[in-house]
Amino acid sequence: MREQFKANLRAHILYYRRSRLLLAFALVFLGMTLLYSLPALFSPLQGAAFSAAREIFTTLNMFLTAFSAGLGLFIVSSHLRDRNLKMVFTKPCPPEWWLASAYLSAVLVSALVNAAILACALAVSLVAHAKIQAGLAFVSLDTFAGSLALTAYFMFLAMIIHPVIAVVFALVFNPSIFYHMQIWTQALINSGAGGAFLRLVERLFHILYMTFPMVHPFSRETSGIENSLRVETGHWHYAFYSLGYALALTALSYCLSLFFLRRKKLI
Amino acid sequence: MIVAEKLSVHFRRGLLGPPLKALDGLNLEVREGDFFALVGQNGAGKSTAMYCFLGLLRPTAGRLHVMGRVPELGSKLYDAVAYLPEEPHYDLYLTVEEAVGYYASLYGKPLPAKTIQAALERLGLADFKSLPLAKCSKGMKQKVGIAQCLIHRTKLLFLDEPTRGLDPIIVMQFRQVLRELHRQGATIVMNSHVLSEIEMLANRVAIIEKGRAIAQDTLENLMRLDQDVYNVAFEGNGDAPEWVSIESRQGGTVRGSIPAARLYDFVEYTRQAGSRVLECSLKKSTLEESYLKILKGER
Repeated sequence: MREQFKANLRAHILYYRRSRLLLAFALVFLGMTLLYSLPALFSPLQGAAFSAAREIFTTLNMFLTAFSAGLGLFIVSSHLRDRNLKMVFTKPCPPEWWLASAYLSAVLVSALVNAAILACALAVSLVAHAKIQAGLAFVSLDTFAGSLALTAYFMFLAMIIHPVIAVVFALVFNPSIFYHMQIWTQALINSGAGGAFLRLVERLFHILYMTFPMVHPFSRETSGIENSLRVETGHWHYAFYSLGYALALTALSYCLSLFFLRRKKLI
Repeated sequence: MIVAEKLSVHFRRGLLGPPLKALDGLNLEVREGDFFALVGQNGAGKSTAMYCFLGLLRPTAGRLHVMGRVPELGSKLYDAVAYLPEEPHYDLYLTVEEAVGYYASLYGKPLPAKTIQAALERLGLADFKSLPLAKCSKGMKQKVGIAQCLIHRTKLLFLDEPTRGLDPIIVMQFRQVLRELHRQGATIVMNSHVLSEIEMLANRVAIIEKGRAIAQDTLENLMRLDQDVYNVAFEGNGDAPEWVSIESRQGGTVRGSIPAARLYDFVEYTRQAGSRVLECSLKKSTLEESYLKILKGER
């Protein structure tokens, strides 16, 4: 199976390299980041260099998160749409290997972009004579964990629904929306307006909040790091918790994707 | 090699619509070493049957075994199977060379570049090896499909409309390759609308109609349709009996046909007349004629 896995991995990397859609997506986002960040870089204000570096870093990490979702979404949806999987599965190459190679290729591309963003942030910090903070590494690791989770989640969504619907679904059924709904219902209950029904709704929002995949599951605990880029010793384990969460979500998404892939009409 | 018993595939048509019966109790047997052709009208169920054989579709009902196993996506069964799809659904972002190499390497055996190059040259693709598949014509994509099919020695080859969109020279070369593979022992299952091609290649044919095999036999038997008529040629200058339908008289040779029931009378007539019989054979029809007769229920 090693040969088949390698062949698929090579083909997927070529797909990413040649996908004009991904290239356009990356160029537009990079252009926007540059336009947004350049003025801050040339600002004469004190501490502007640090703010600019942080701004670029944060924006690029946001880009990576969205880009990783795109990697997962495009690789599955394009292969399903082009109906070329029948060429793969009518050879001794089972769906689990194809799916694993697709995921790994997306992760490799994502890791590469992640490393490039970190290098870019370090370079900007050096050029701007700003102090290099450990927070850069922390945010990088946390973003990478988030991108792992999103890639797997979007691969699963693309497996079961149309890619456009998948994007809309992910935007609408977003854990932060349910979190805010839960807070809102909690506030209503605390103000004395609630009955048993409202309590039930509050629980439902909580369950939905916990059910839908999160990009940064420990964002509340680590919210200050992104702004200050300073990490305390006690913070580091959250990055690894995030990684653990991402791997668990990956495993679940993989199993579900495989289940649906095996039942898909690939003709 | 392939055994299908009461194979049914029903597709749902919306939530309330009646299911579409793509296959409706198909019984089929492909024996080892067969060059088996599936013939039928558009929508008869030929491709659906092939998708089931390849494990791409799960039958709604019935029993199916390919080389003794139930076909499962990507299983070990495919070590000995090659498939050429009807539509060139390939990874269009790959170049011709990359695509042939990619599909061939999915068999899990390391493949030297020399082998890929030889396959490309054989099909006249060597000059286009760096061309992305997205920019290739349909015929060229079909050649890529053929190349990936032939690169490994397979026991069972599935071909879905294999010569569609190919130029006549490549069609001839492809037929030659198929004959060669068949001679070497490969079992070939082919879907095609080109009956003349099937006549040239296949040794067994199944006619599929509305998801069922309405006829399944050797090509020879299917073409031996008019068993009630004999083609005859004999020496004779005089009048022939009225039951001989004369088609031509040339240099003392009479050519025509006789009803099978009159065979003994014909022998008796030529014996008494002292005529030499030059030909007396069952009238053979083309596969097209047989196919049409079977479809019309005349047989």
